[in-house]
Amino acid sequence: MPLLEINNLVTAFHTPAGRVPAVDGVSLSIERGKTLGLVGESGCGKSVTAMSILRLVASPGVIESGEILLAREGGSVDLTQLPEPELRKVRGGRIGMIFQEPMTSLNPVFTIGDQIAEAVLLHRAVPRAAARARALEMLKLVRLADPEQRLDEYPHQLSGGMRQRVMIAMALACEPDLVIADEPTTALDVTIQAQILELLSDLRRRLQTSLLLITHDLGVVAETCDEVAVMYAGRIVERAPAAELFANPQHPYTIGLLAARPATGVRHEGPLRTIPGMVPLPQNFPAGCRFHPRCAYARLPHCAGDVPPLRDIRPQHQARCHYAGELGPATGEKGDAAHFPHFSNAGNELRPLFPEGGS
Amino acid sequence: MTTQPLLVVENLQTHFPVRRGLLRRVSGSVQAVDGVSFSIAKRRTLGLVGESGCGKTTVGRSILRLVEPTGGDVRFAGASVRGMNARDLRALRRRMQIVFQDPYGSLNPRMTVRGILEEGLVIHRMGDARDRLARMRRALDRTGLTAATLERYPHEFSGGQRQRIAIARALVLEPEFLVLDEPISALDVSIQAQVVNLLVELREELGLTYLFISHDLSVVEYVSDDVAVMYLGRLVERADAAALYRAPLHPYTLALFSAVPTIDPARRRRRIVLTGDVPSPSRPPRGCRFHPRCPLAESVCREVDPPATTLDGHLVHCHVAARELERSAGDVRAAAASIAEAMAAASAKPASDAAAASGTLKA
Ligand SMILES: Nc1ncnc2c1ncn2[C@@H]1O[C@H](COP(=O)(O)OP(=O)(O)OP(=O)(O)O)[C@@H](O)[C@H]1O
Ligand SMILES: Nc1ncnc2c1ncn2[C@@H]1O[C@H](COP(=O)(O)OP(=O)(O)OP(=O)(O)O)[C@@H](O)[C@H]1O
Ligand SMILES: [Mg+2]
Ligand SMILES: [Mg+2]
Repeated sequence: MPLLEINNLVTAFHTPAGRVPAVDGVSLSIERGKTLGLVGESGCGKSVTAMSILRLVASPGVIESGEILLAREGGSVDLTQLPEPELRKVRGGRIGMIFQEPMTSLNPVFTIGDQIAEAVLLHRAVPRAAARARALEMLKLVRLADPEQRLDEYPHQLSGGMRQRVMIAMALACEPDLVIADEPTTALDVTIQAQILELLSDLRRRLQTSLLLITHDLGVVAETCDEVAVMYAGRIVERAPAAELFANPQHPYTIGLLAARPATGVRHEGPLRTIPGMVPLPQNFPAGCRFHPRCAYARLPHCAGDVPPLRDIRPQHQARCHYAGELGPATGEKGDAAHFPHFSNAGNELRPLFPEGGS
Repeated sequence: MTTQPLLVVENLQTHFPVRRGLLRRVSGSVQAVDGVSFSIAKRRTLGLVGESGCGKTTVGRSILRLVEPTGGDVRFAGASVRGMNARDLRALRRRMQIVFQDPYGSLNPRMTVRGILEEGLVIHRMGDARDRLARMRRALDRTGLTAATLERYPHEFSGGQRQRIAIARALVLEPEFLVLDEPISALDVSIQAQVVNLLVELREELGLTYLFISHDLSVVEYVSDDVAVMYLGRLVERADAAALYRAPLHPYTLALFSAVPTIDPARRRRRIVLTGDVPSPSRPPRGCRFHPRCPLAESVCREVDPPATTLDGHLVHCHVAARELERSAGDVRAAAASIAEAMAAASAKPASDAAAASGTLKA
């Protein structure tokens, strides 16, 4: 049984301007000791999905339907139905959360030592001194310089990456079964990022911790995740083991994402490739396939009319596209080669070719 | 091409007091920025990279005097920023804008996007109401947001959308110089590409000049003309972007470049893992600040602060690099190659440093 299983989650915001279905029928599952990467365009609903798990979606957001099952001895519990006092024990206890924006979850008027110790005291029956010792240990673990001195500092005295590491320390302090990490390393340089990711993998190996990793860094996904789910406009559009996804992306959106990265060591002239058009806001998601207005492969009227199901394309590999598996060259008005990359698939390595030839 | 630099940073120093105990007495100082010099010509972009906490944001904030430098100077279009009075400083802050690292923390949650964008225009008395609206629409449009955004509050947006609002706020004042502090780290790759293209386009069209701070080394390479690498409050290397990426000379730069996550498994194997303690900015090591973690450190590195060696505009502070440059008779690429080889050999043994450290995680 998976540690966490989300079935058909719908979370919407009821704003004066109408209903905003930010998460619209998402299903996911994470096994014990595994890492699931969740990637997708800004605003597609990744954070709202994560916040829904712990029922932290702020008003006017409501979980409208679906279930979120957390395994426990002898069965599972639906977090959407759990009474608030019990849920509070799960937050920071069995599930640790690293939020996307450190400043929203760190309290500016308390020292960071107090904040981490508080998180420990909430879930563990230990004396205050032990909680503080634990806080110090955690700060060392996330490689903060001068940890003793930092314990007594306030969030504004830390650099962006230090704040992010404090949050990671807080989320891991109680050794949770599941860590939800929403862009946990965006403020870190690559060397410290590598150390933090190694710390998370180590937890996973030692304690069978599961990780839901939300990130836009495809390199991080490739190096850390067992499986990847790609989200677009409130829905999962592709799902596969990480290596498989990078070797054989099936959904045109995923193909576009992989192409938008500049490669290092190659001097580019001209603009980077982007996916044409803008991200739709939830209040006006297009009908049919939600990606079709931006898709170089869209065939009308089919793609604008019918919602494609998430279906098996290859072994262990699902995509939500009518034509996945038979895309061929791009067609339609947006199909000029300017919008979509050509992939060279030499051996194990997949890299987009840029206009001027690159590597 | 030699143009008059728009921005000159000279031996900039910004220290923060460390207070301890009940009386909050000053017991030392965090040497966040400790003698940094560089200049940026008009229409050019300097990329600034380095370890988390090494002082990049503090450099950016010191330039705008959002924090007070404790030494050195900053000159913008010839005028000393440190010597400016409040009035001149206000005028300067229209010409120089900053996009902050934490978009949420920097957007007032009680203001609508309209309020946030209009604030600067009102402070600087730019345009009448109609003109202001037009400017705001233009800035939103440029950052890929619709005018419908205007009446909404920051919390109604995702992280990436908020970052674009922050960029729009800086652009609406039509500044000449922008400090971009991690402007794309909250964005997914496809929006990143859009924002990067946007920044490049604005630079060409409006003749903007950027200080571009980022952890994303490939984006830095793409955007920047020159790149400076910082370590623990100091610059350790600076060169033309292409030259730096082709032939990095400082061991820290090499380690940094090698740690970039990649979907290419072959590149992953050539990673240099830094061991040793994370350095303290309140008690920086003597000699070269990087020596406790440097696989190539020698006795001179532990004693003597390495002076700058400059060759063909490529600047580096490193004893080993200086010697290699001398040995290769000024062939930067040859020197870089031999340093890279030495680094690879020195870190060939897999360092399970992180694993060892996390072994203490026992509640
Ligand atoms: N309080 C709110 N009121 C109305 N809409 C909201 C609210 N919070 C979020 N949304 C909308 O829900 C959608 C999903 O937001 P979410 O934060 O989950 O995006 P995300 O995928 O995490 O993006 P990013 O990568 O930028 O962090 C966005 O379009 C956002 O505008
Ligand atoms: N207001 C402040 N008061 C005290 N110390 C500060 C303050 N601002 C920054 N510092 C300290 O200065 C040092 C440099 O911080 P800075 O924010 O410039 O780093 P950075 O290079 O931007 O890091 P990151 O990549 O993590 O954002 C850190 O040790 C930090 O704790
Ligand atoms: Mg988010
Ligand atoms: Mg910073």
